[in-house]
Amino acid sequence: MHLLKKETLILKMQIKFTEAQEKFRNEVRLWLQDNLPKKPLQSLDTQEGFELHREWERTLDSGNWSMVTWPKEYGGRGLNLIEWLIFEEEYYRADAPTRVNQNGVFLLGPTLMEFGTDQQKNKFLKAMASGDHIWAQGWSEPGAGSDMAAIRSTAVHEDGFFTINGQKTWSSRASYADWMFGLFRSDLSSERHKGLSFILTPLDLPGITVRPIPQLDGEPGFAEIYFDDVKVPVENLIGKEGDGWKIAMATAGFERGLMLRSPARFQQTAAKLLALYLENKSECSPAMQSKIVDAWSKSESYALSIYQTASHLMAGGSIGSESSLGKIFWSELDYMMHETALKILGASAELVDEEKHNGAKWIKGFMFSYAGPIYAGTNEIQKNIIAERLLGLPR
Amino acid sequence: MNFVFTDEQLQFKETIKSFLAQECTPESIRLGWKENSPFNQKRWDDLISLGVIGSNLSEEDGGLGVDQVALTLMIEEMGYSGLPEPVAEQNFLINDLLDIFPKDIKGALIDKFDCGSKYIAVAHSQNPHPLFVNQSNGLILLDDNSCHFINKDDLKFKELKSNDPSRSLSKILSIKNSIASSDNFEVLNQAMASRGSLLSSALLLGLAQKMLDLSSSYVLDRNQFGKPIGSFQAVKHMLADIAVAIEFARPAVYRSAYSLNENNPKSFLHCAHAKYMSIKAAELACRNSIQSHGAMGYTWEMDLHIFMRKAWSLIACWGNDDSQQDIIFNTLKSSKDEIGVLYTF
Repeated sequence: MHLLKKETLILKMQIKFTEAQEKFRNEVRLWLQDNLPKKPLQSLDTQEGFELHREWERTLDSGNWSMVTWPKEYGGRGLNLIEWLIFEEEYYRADAPTRVNQNGVFLLGPTLMEFGTDQQKNKFLKAMASGDHIWAQGWSEPGAGSDMAAIRSTAVHEDGFFTINGQKTWSSRASYADWMFGLFRSDLSSERHKGLSFILTPLDLPGITVRPIPQLDGEPGFAEIYFDDVKVPVENLIGKEGDGWKIAMATAGFERGLMLRSPARFQQTAAKLLALYLENKSECSPAMQSKIVDAWSKSESYALSIYQTASHLMAGGSIGSESSLGKIFWSELDYMMHETALKILGASAELVDEEKHNGAKWIKGFMFSYAGPIYAGTNEIQKNIIAERLLGLPR
Repeated sequence: MNFVFTDEQLQFKETIKSFLAQECTPESIRLGWKENSPFNQKRWDDLISLGVIGSNLSEEDGGLGVDQVALTLMIEEMGYSGLPEPVAEQNFLINDLLDIFPKDIKGALIDKFDCGSKYIAVAHSQNPHPLFVNQSNGLILLDDNSCHFINKDDLKFKELKSNDPSRSLSKILSIKNSIASSDNFEVLNQAMASRGSLLSSALLLGLAQKMLDLSSSYVLDRNQFGKPIGSFQAVKHMLADIAVAIEFARPAVYRSAYSLNENNPKSFLHCAHAKYMSIKAAELACRNSIQSHGAMGYTWEMDLHIFMRKAWSLIACWGNDDSQQDIIFNTLKSSKDEIGVLYTF
């Protein structure tokens, strides 16, 4: 018996870019060259910097670059995930500004595509792409962090409105953002994952108080939001009442996975780390080589994995808990690379004046890399998810 | 860009997977150990009938022309089952190099030894103790500057005992009447080192996955404090860490196979990357698996060590993580291309 049939030998796997994809890359590159701000923008966590970053979102939108995978009618280009990854590669290669609206374009956007009504898509996607609505995320509460199902903020449905009460916290960008998407308990008798609803709210409504919280770098990158009898029209409900958990989990999948953390960012960090090492080689211990190789190897693997995932999705596949694997991997990698950079810089690592010291960016990135294993669900929670849903271990 | 396997590639994987699940069980491996003959001739013959041994030879050489990616998927399954026979070695180090071997040697391999079916052992600086010389019909030996083919009868060798009873190793004492050539030696030497890295990576991936599966099922069964130990976070997290390491080693291994298929000039780097990542995954799989098994994992009776021993051997053969790091570092630091996003594909 001969089980291997030879008529089946066609190699369709293609781990390289097509000419059209290279052409697209070039188009992105040229546009960025012509349109990038002449000098780096102020931090987006300052009022002024925030508005400069909003301006940049508008510029991106003027070239239809805000989110290339979206349909044209919403300001996108109707392109596929591979082209999006290419866009991201050129974006990071050009050191373009951080996307101030990443909560919107990377997280809420895909959520609306999947769960929003046509009316909601029309209302929110275009304004998101253009930077008119900058979004904050409202999930965590003082009593609901890793245990997100412990959410207590309420949204009571009555006469075409939700009346919202409670408190959200660790809400990134909320200090200056225009809108927030959040998870609220709409069925007051419900417990845990049931009875939650996914609701969008402007942040300037009466009854809302935003209290900025300075982060490790001293800037108010996140905020607490208090709701005191805030009236939100029922049109702002996404999906069905009570379906909030399911929808939020889809959004979280985007956050942990390829949307928010496309590989280009880590590949460019690894490349900069190699350059930093080569510049300072004479002062480095030989042991440093192994860290440089580890950084490159892992960022390369992450990129390969994401291209494999994107190809899988484009072929009609889906991903679920697998995004937890990636979240652990990129957050550990990011920390390791920044830690290595600080070791190379030695006693100069603490010098933070970016205009005077080339290495000054690293310590800021280093501090931010501490956040990676915490946000979007701590790595410990991700490991529980992997163990329970992928390996079949008991809760 | 389309980083997905074809149905055909997956079909090869499934075919060998179901064969090995039947024919290469821990019991059959242990039987080979007990009888001091880990090379199971019947299983080898069955793998010939199945078309696996010569699968990646070209059709004119009597094979199926299976590509390196499909082969890698199949080899992962060989690792998963702990297959003792040197099928992966024959596939990558003999068949896949057939057109790179000097002409006389290729001729000898094809004419006399029907390399679609007869086993040829390989000795190389990265793999100095060839496998199963006693079961072979000859030896390919790469020394410092030339490639030799030696008929089994012209070999004097001494058997060496491996820590992995599935591996029968030899020391070559002397050779005579070798067909030798230094044509194209540098290319051949590097091509063999790359393939050695790749095949050991693919085996390690399979072994790591097997150890993870054994551990996941053990921690479900074993109760302490009145519940399965797999419900404790400390245990869950150890196993989740293995899953993460395997997940990000896999695409590196598949890409390196594709890279060989494409004759990509960076395939040497890609194979080193594959081996580096899969060593890290396999090392973690060994440590965390035995830890999650507790004292049971430290016994001869538990099957875990069948796979752990093979992993330890394969980590060291065909370049360990340190030597792969050197390859990667030397390539990166002297690259004329921009390192970063443009370097990957």
